[in-house]
Amino acid sequence: MTLPTWLALLVALALAGAAARAVRRRFFRHPTATWGVGILAFFAIVAVAAPLVAPFDPREQLDIIRLKNQPPSWTYMLGTDVYSRDLWSRVVFGARVSLVVGGLGTLVAVTLGATVGAVAGYYRRWADAVLMRGVDVGLALPRIFVLLMAIALWDRLSLPVLVLTIGLTSWFGTSRLVRAEVLSLRERDFVAAARALGAGPARVILRHVLPNAAAPIIVSATLGIGNVLLLEAGLSFLGIGVAPPTASWGSMIADGAPTLATAPWTTLFPGLAIALVVMALNAVGDGLRDALDPRREDT
Amino acid sequence: MLGAMRATFLLLIAVATLASCERPGGCTGAYCGTLVFVSPGEPDILLPPVSQQVSTRDIGDQIFLKLADIGPSTNTIGDEDFQPQLAERWEWDGPTTLVFHVDPRARWHDGQPVTAADVAFTFDAYNDPAVASPFRNALRRVASVTARDSATAVVRFRERYPEMFFDAVYHMRILPAHLLRGVPRDQWKTAAFGRQPVGDGPYRFVSWHAGQSLELQADSTFFLGRPAIRRLIWRFTPNVPVAVTQLVAGEGDALEYLGTPDNVSRVRAAQQMTLYPYRGSSYGYLGFNLTVNGDTTQPHPIFGDRQVRRALTMAVDRARLLTSVFGDLAKVPPGPMSQLWWIWDPEIRQLPFDTVQAARVLASHGWRDSDHDGIRDRAGQRLSFHVLVPSTSGVRKQYARLLQEQFRTVGVQMEIDEVEPSVFQERAGAGRFDAALFGWTTDPSPSSGLVQLWSRSGFGGSNFLRYDNATYDQLVERATGGVLTREQARTTWRRAIETINDDAPAIFLFAPDGVAAIHSRVADVNVRPDSWWALVRTWRIPPDRLIDRDRVER
Amino acid sequence: MAAWLVRRVAASIAIVLAVVTLTFVLVHLAPGTPFLPPPETPADPAVTARLRAQFHLDEPIPVQYIAYLGQLARGNLGLSFALRRPVADALAEAVPNTLLLAGAALLLDFLLGLALGVYQALRVHRLPDIILGNATLFIYSFPTFWLGLILVLVFGEWLRWFPVAGVGDPVLCPAADSLRCVIDRLWHLTLPALTLGLVGAAGTARFQRAAMLEVAGQDYIRTARAKGARERRVVLRHQLRNALLSFITRFGLAFPFLLTGAVLIETIFAWPGMGRLATDAILRRDYPVVTAAALLASTLVVLGNLLADVLLAVADPRLRVPAHA
Repeated sequence: MTLPTWLALLVALALAGAAARAVRRRFFRHPTATWGVGILAFFAIVAVAAPLVAPFDPREQLDIIRLKNQPPSWTYMLGTDVYSRDLWSRVVFGARVSLVVGGLGTLVAVTLGATVGAVAGYYRRWADAVLMRGVDVGLALPRIFVLLMAIALWDRLSLPVLVLTIGLTSWFGTSRLVRAEVLSLRERDFVAAARALGAGPARVILRHVLPNAAAPIIVSATLGIGNVLLLEAGLSFLGIGVAPPTASWGSMIADGAPTLATAPWTTLFPGLAIALVVMALNAVGDGLRDALDPRREDT
Repeated sequence: MLGAMRATFLLLIAVATLASCERPGGCTGAYCGTLVFVSPGEPDILLPPVSQQVSTRDIGDQIFLKLADIGPSTNTIGDEDFQPQLAERWEWDGPTTLVFHVDPRARWHDGQPVTAADVAFTFDAYNDPAVASPFRNALRRVASVTARDSATAVVRFRERYPEMFFDAVYHMRILPAHLLRGVPRDQWKTAAFGRQPVGDGPYRFVSWHAGQSLELQADSTFFLGRPAIRRLIWRFTPNVPVAVTQLVAGEGDALEYLGTPDNVSRVRAAQQMTLYPYRGSSYGYLGFNLTVNGDTTQPHPIFGDRQVRRALTMAVDRARLLTSVFGDLAKVPPGPMSQLWWIWDPEIRQLPFDTVQAARVLASHGWRDSDHDGIRDRAGQRLSFHVLVPSTSGVRKQYARLLQEQFRTVGVQMEIDEVEPSVFQERAGAGRFDAALFGWTTDPSPSSGLVQLWSRSGFGGSNFLRYDNATYDQLVERATGGVLTREQARTTWRRAIETINDDAPAIFLFAPDGVAAIHSRVADVNVRPDSWWALVRTWRIPPDRLIDRDRVER
Repeated sequence: MAAWLVRRVAASIAIVLAVVTLTFVLVHLAPGTPFLPPPETPADPAVTARLRAQFHLDEPIPVQYIAYLGQLARGNLGLSFALRRPVADALAEAVPNTLLLAGAALLLDFLLGLALGVYQALRVHRLPDIILGNATLFIYSFPTFWLGLILVLVFGEWLRWFPVAGVGDPVLCPAADSLRCVIDRLWHLTLPALTLGLVGAAGTARFQRAAMLEVAGQDYIRTARAKGARERRVVLRHQLRNALLSFITRFGLAFPFLLTGAVLIETIFAWPGMGRLATDAILRRDYPVVTAAALLASTLVVLGNLLADVLLAVADPRLRVPAHA
């Protein structure tokens, strides 16, 4: 590992610590949520600064005969995989893919879910009935089947298509949540006032209802990213997901699974990365839920 | 509360102790033994004409008999090296007529005698289009099979050629006419017989738990000799690494193909297993599609050019890739062949590994990196292509990534499309690909593979690359037809392979060695390279080496 | 209540039909054909064409769909292309295995999760709570298939405490017909159930802890305390019962997803269950099995929803008016 790499890593850690401390001073009472922010900040910074933090090109096969499946050492911090690629570099670049897929996928899911839920909750009656039956169908469809088949419809899965597909199959829970919130909010005074002042339904929904329903949406979104990450890992493990040689944590686990007994580090570290990020997201989500929801007491 | 917990705990201990009590005694002597095969594949149906699964073949080898079986040399020419099975002897009654005498001692497992009528019925079924047997094509040169009387079957051929006897005996497993006559031919592919087969072989079917295991029991009255190992159990696993783990943990006794150096070293470390190498029957290559979408009037923009293909072949260090993936458990094939074929000859003329020459040829054909992005281009088009890889083949996925790197160093961009096997087959058949990583498991005979895959008659069939060379077609016809001496045939085959190598329609990457792992207690082990468990009935477990599994009476 | 039930059942049937239709269309439109030979074996196009004709696969999709519906109406789930047997037979063998695995996992999930959640709530903000809280958070974030791989490596290969794969020992116990064989089945069940159940238990523990603490502040609890009842009885009777209600809802909704979510676990442990059956069928384009699996799964989902609603209505009198119209 070269000096610039170490420096970049230390900077990432320092920034992560600073972010966590700053956040703590505000209104989180959880040490876990603070840790969560720190871990997320670390991975986010490392992902953004990947070319600086990674000592090797993640796709470079260093020596396919002698450096295959090497255990962790000083030069190769997390070891090498079956194609003699440096595992740490791949984890770092894999963070980019996994976080982007997670973030964008959740964005798609939450946007779609919030829209559908808001429309159903606001208009009620037949719009509600039709949309919610649609959601029921969506929830009744076994998720992994739909994904397998939707993915089967495209010969080759590019990143945008993967994000879209994951997003399009993950919005059902959010829509139910938003619908419930909108249903309770629409009876409130400020909504009646806005309508009396002549605001159209779209304006009412967008400017008055949704912002007040924001809290559960944000919490659901944060936890949703974790689910999408796990889903992407599972899909890559099954062999459908990001195309090689792009590194993604799930495909790294899949690459390492055949040699689990002789080279466990190839499977261990990507899985650990996923677990850490998802854990951080869950912790932050919990903290957000407590902070943004004034009704809840000590938890 | 605490008292209840204590009582429960004691009860659990008592139950566990009782349950683990061994029943003393059990089977002793020379005819005991339970062999557990850990199998990465499960049969779909145990009716040989309609199933192509390898595990159907392995299990079928124990339950059903062929007229005669290939010998240890796996020679497929003539009939000297074949060994009698269902037929006790045979003779030639003219240049295209073969007469088999069915062994009068042969019996179906339900007691009925095996007759020549069964042989005639079997051929009729294999040949019937309604059965849709994948082996029908292999029997195309057999004109008819009739029963002269109850013990004599007559096989007539359309023409005379070196592998007549092989075709007559190898592809068909004789079936019981009295049990299958009543089943409508178009329902054979889902027949109930296939889940409870009745055969005439050394082992009889006992039970099949789908997804879990399958059990066979030795037929003590088998006319060619009572099998020494009493029970055969197939244990189905999802893939080879898990199978190896089961072997190492003592949950299995035999695995036919270890595949990677990792697996071999794991098995070697397990003291109770012995490794048996044999000539592998598969090979793999990177095939270039010579046309666009299968249309022979439109040559592929990159691969239509023979020199470019040759340059790409020379850019790949096949030996180094092989060592990375297989260690020392494979060889670079000198052409489209597996190690099993008798025509294997490392001296066959092939293209060398020479990146300098490759770069020079590419540059001289206009492929230069004009925009300095690392990828060569010519008249605005980049030297970039997609390679199709089936997602279920670990070896080919590995090769894809290694090849990607190799090509990148000479300025060629290869993108990997990993697709499901059904999509792979569909796109390969339709010609909708640039390049693809193919792997084939071969017959002991070169004839079918080398014709189906590389000659004009394979268009629309397995010649996915649409390779078309009249010289090659003529050479192959000469080698498979007529009557040549073995040496003449060898020379002809060699010239044919060299024609392919010169045209470089594919880069021939690997021909793995076979390594089987079998428990050390088993003696007289003989693994035949074309069908690994064909000789299990001759194996035995000496009485002094019996373990718990072998002694169980059930 | 009766009218509501009838409406829900009708809607459920409509949902199942919609799911089956969608699955049918998707799987028939997907590229790739069924009836392919095993890998590394050349295919004979004549054989494939013949098989396609025998199963009427070249007719237009709407025609095939109507035929399929007619077949379903007669109770026939069709013949599997790849397994060469009636789909109903294959499902009948696979479903009990998945039920066993899912049931064991749920049991572990429920018992362990509830115990941990209650324990944490009793010791809230003290050291055991903090340690367990972080541990459950961590385990809850594991990808289940990764946990499975790790467990197989540690307990199956290194320690040899449990078998690596399979449902039972085929040599001694091909069928569970004796006490010893039942124990053998349980022994084989341990690792896969643990994999599925541990992650679930961590989630349940977190959820129960939160639910119990939320309930702790409610009026009726304070009333019970004011009446002088012992702390323990207060907790166990009131908080537990209400927390149980939310678990029942989660149970009803989660059970069907355990069935299909076990796909990865079934693959790793060679467990011949529905998840593996369905995934293999999708890969092999085994259309009848795919649609039958979708039918079964969606039926279980709507049944689970229905069950959850009914249980809630029975358990909590306040909820005898339906929650969602």
